[in-house]
Amino acid sequence: MSNEIVKLSSPEPNGNAGMPVDPVVFTPPIDIFETPDGLVLQADLPGVTLETLELQVQDNKLTLFGRVNHVLPPNARLIHQEYALGHFLRSFILSDEVDHERVTAKLNQGVLEVFLPRVPKSEPRRIQVTTS
Amino acid sequence: MAIFRWGQAWDPFRDLEREVDRLLASVSLSFQGLRFGRQYPPVNVYEVDDELLLTAELPGTRAEDLEVLVADGVLTLKGKRTGAAGITDDHYRRQERPQGSWQRSLTLPTLIQEDKLSAEFTNGVLRVRLPKAPASIPRQIQVSDGNAE
Repeated sequence: MSNEIVKLSSPEPNGNAGMPVDPVVFTPPIDIFETPDGLVLQADLPGVTLETLELQVQDNKLTLFGRVNHVLPPNARLIHQEYALGHFLRSFILSDEVDHERVTAKLNQGVLEVFLPRVPKSEPRRIQVTTS
Repeated sequence: MAIFRWGQAWDPFRDLEREVDRLLASVSLSFQGLRFGRQYPPVNVYEVDDELLLTAELPGTRAEDLEVLVADGVLTLKGKRTGAAGITDDHYRRQERPQGSWQRSLTLPTLIQEDKLSAEFTNGVLRVRLPKAPASIPRQIQVSDGNAE
């Protein structure tokens, strides 16, 4: 599909070279919406801080890895569990429509927001034709 | 894709089993906390010395939209999460994150000092500290003989 700017790449069980391997890694839920300037990607990363978030674009692949440090007192005893703690990992394929150089991101209350601006449309160039 | 292949007609149950396994394996569990039959938000409760610590993951919620109430041994959490301002549904390419208002009440397992409750919200994680009430001292009740008078 040519109009798909961000494609979701399938999870790679062993393909995350360089990423620290942890027993529990979740795929965070995301939203992607369009704005006049491009696309915005939002991901839920509760417990992830600026220091523990890695966001990188390599070739045309955007990868987010958020580490969750369990800030629990050492003597805390779990008596009721409904959710598991783990890190967050997800990657996306960016199309050529996204200006890779101008990707920006911010993290606020556990939500990562990545701005994926569209590549500016190139102006038509007039070619002078001369006779020989 | 054909679930049953004629070539292996004598062992259809193994095929069925394999297909069901494959279907179940493909179910995305990325919607943590939105699995059906689960209450939102999911919470964890820890015991730390003489306190209970309740944690809940509520990314993207503003602290002012969160309410923590306690009364008669029931802890109530209320909150809401709104989508991006001015973005209508048709602008979404993908929508996996839950939004809207929610409320959840939890019966606390022990008596707590309701006036000493404290809550903090950082990096999208709510932590509620609930100090336990000191164990009450057994009180001796004098039993009088009703026939003595």
